Amino acid sequence: MKRTIGWLLWAAVSAVAAVALGAVALRRGEAIDSMWVVLAGACTFALGFRFYGKFIAARVMALDDTRATPAERLRNGLDFEPTNKWILFGQHFAAIAGPGPLVGPVLAAQFGYLPGTLWIIAGAVLGGAVQDFTILFASMRRDGKSLGEMAHEEIGRLGGFTALVTVLLILIILQATVALVVVNALKGSPWGTFTIAATMPIAVFMGLYMRYLRPGKVLECSLIGFALVVAAIFGGQAVSQSAALAPVFTLTGTGLAVAIIVYGFVGSTLPVWLLLAPRGYLSTFVKLGVIFLLAAGILAVRPQLQLPAFTRFTDGTGPIFGGKVFPFCFITIACGAISGFHSLISSGTTPKMIARESHALPIGYGSMLLEGFVALMAMIAASVMQPGVYFAVNSPAGVVGATPAAAVATISSWGFPVTAAGMESLARAVGERTLFFRTGGAPSLALGMAHIFAGAGGRAVLGFWYHFAIMFEALFILTLIDAGTRVGRFMLQDMLGHVAKPLGRTSWMPGAIGTSAAIVAAWGYFLYQGVRDPLGGINTLWPLFGISNQLLAAVALCVATTVLIKMHRARYLWITGIPLAWLVVVTFAAGWQKIFSPLPHVGFLAHAAALQAAQSAEAGRLIFNDRLDAVVCGVFLVLVATILLDSVRVWAGILRGTRPTRLNEAPYVRTELGPEGV
Amino acid sequence: MSRLKKLGALLVALLRELADESAYRRHLAARGRAHSAAEWRRFNDERLRARYTQAKCC
Repeated sequence: MKRTIGWLLWAAVSAVAAVALGAVALRRGEAIDSMWVVLAGACTFALGFRFYGKFIAARVMALDDTRATPAERLRNGLDFEPTNKWILFGQHFAAIAGPGPLVGPVLAAQFGYLPGTLWIIAGAVLGGAVQDFTILFASMRRDGKSLGEMAHEEIGRLGGFTALVTVLLILIILQATVALVVVNALKGSPWGTFTIAATMPIAVFMGLYMRYLRPGKVLECSLIGFALVVAAIFGGQAVSQSAALAPVFTLTGTGLAVAIIVYGFVGSTLPVWLLLAPRGYLSTFVKLGVIFLLAAGILAVRPQLQLPAFTRFTDGTGPIFGGKVFPFCFITIACGAISGFHSLISSGTTPKMIARESHALPIGYGSMLLEGFVALMAMIAASVMQPGVYFAVNSPAGVVGATPAAAVATISSWGFPVTAAGMESLARAVGERTLFFRTGGAPSLALGMAHIFAGAGGRAVLGFWYHFAIMFEALFILTLIDAGTRVGRFMLQDMLGHVAKPLGRTSWMPGAIGTSAAIVAAWGYFLYQGVRDPLGGINTLWPLFGISNQLLAAVALCVATTVLIKMHRARYLWITGIPLAWLVVVTFAAGWQKIFSPLPHVGFLAHAAALQAAQSAEAGRLIFNDRLDAVVCGVFLVLVATILLDSVRVWAGILRGTRPTRLNEAPYVRTELGPEGV
Repeated sequence: MSRLKKLGALLVALLRELADESAYRRHLAARGRAHSAAEWRRFNDERLRARYTQAKCC
């Protein structure tokens, strides 16, 4: 009886999913209720978890709860500690949820809400969650080893080295891309700049508070920090209205880029407890709170999607970034559908804390589905704006015209009516001077979120919510930058240590300063290039970041596929093989087009060739940058082709029987933990 | 009501884990030490050193 009710319930969930997906996909020419997107995502994710996730757990991985996990066998009370399933779920989710699933869908909304929504739903269930789950499983069976170590052991030396270099390059592009998102959000905004600047002394105060005043009281201190940050948002409003202070905090893009570069350098060399850790704690709590608030806001307000299902820009002529819906929608939304970066988290802290093997399903597969849900919320936030407003905010001056009058004329000619007066009124309502040409995704996401939050509280609080959203985005992006620079420094020191031993010592100050400067200079150059780009920069950097992130996912899926073959699960190769093949096709197509497309708004080399007629120094700089971007993109493709070919060689050898199948799993030890594993 | 209480307790436990307060308690228990400012600093330095050698997700 219970079984029958269960099947009836899942049949009902399937029916709701089908109806909701139908409503999302088939309605044309009218605004649709955002609840359809929520229902389509929630029901499909539930079905994916219940049937596909469980199938992989039971048939492919054969998760075994009698087997002691590394958390039990290597328990040390610190990194290795059996942890409650739901607590670890929350911790893993907090670690994988970054700015990517929020910004990517906002940018991809230039194609309309439908391509991105469908890709998030399908990509998360069949790709992202599978990657996170299989890598978590593989690492858990190998004492919590990292992706690089597993690539080295399972594929070979070349695979391990390629994975390391790929991660370092991706880190550099990632820092530059997310820093550009912050620059574009704060450019010319004294309110936002003051709020973010205030978070620095607040973080230092928190660091001192936790170290000397009330040691160990992290939650208490984070609450005080949050109250101070909210006070800083109100302070920012006062600053923006002050004739004396507003000019001090009104910075140009270049000024902000320099400030962030200096911050990245200082952050990576200062003691972690003083700045990075307090910001990290604060940003984690604010991030989880805002995601929860956004979900509650969407459910309460039920906004209508104003963007059409498809826009004319699926043909590749989009103003935000060039390129057709295939392949560019699929690299623009990486986190939220499938993100290679998650494999670093799934082979980092989490596998060392899993109490029972079966917990890997909700933690690895389930957390990714929740991140997919966050991406859907970001898509909703972008789509609740009038299309004309969305394009006015996100389009660079180099595409739509340098003045508001020119921009509204261009955007209206595309069939998305917008007026300069309307934009000015909206800017005034959120406490900004202008909302034109605010590329990068963050301002439009903040507008959408403010629209949803203010739905319950009236237009009077729109300015507060807009700046709250900007603060939230900038806070955790800066956390990513300071931590990423530090990690990049360690990776570089690790490599240089093979050449000169002192350079490998992370405590040697000249080495630390030199390598920090090298990493900051690398991402700082790309950031500066993006800030000076007349097309807004994000059109170049975000696709590069998307390609690199998806290529890292391809590396992770190569490792996962190798593990499956070595486990004699070759008949289930399609589980990792299909997403791997899709990613290889998408990223190589996108990479190839970014380098060789004859269209100047898509291809780097074609853009450089188009600029060659101009004889100015500015054109010379842009040509150099285009060629550099083409080289970086080419390097990514070569690195991943290398690891892919090396993997295919290993797979063929194992399947033919000419290569020994050595599974590098830790030996089986029976668990002695209780039923819940803790 | 008891379910709500359980959910609340789980949420607080999650926040304590994210804030490293639970890990600190485990650290004290595993080593049989009492809380002190110096002990927290020792724990925190070790914890943060390990955490900030790993990339944060995008």
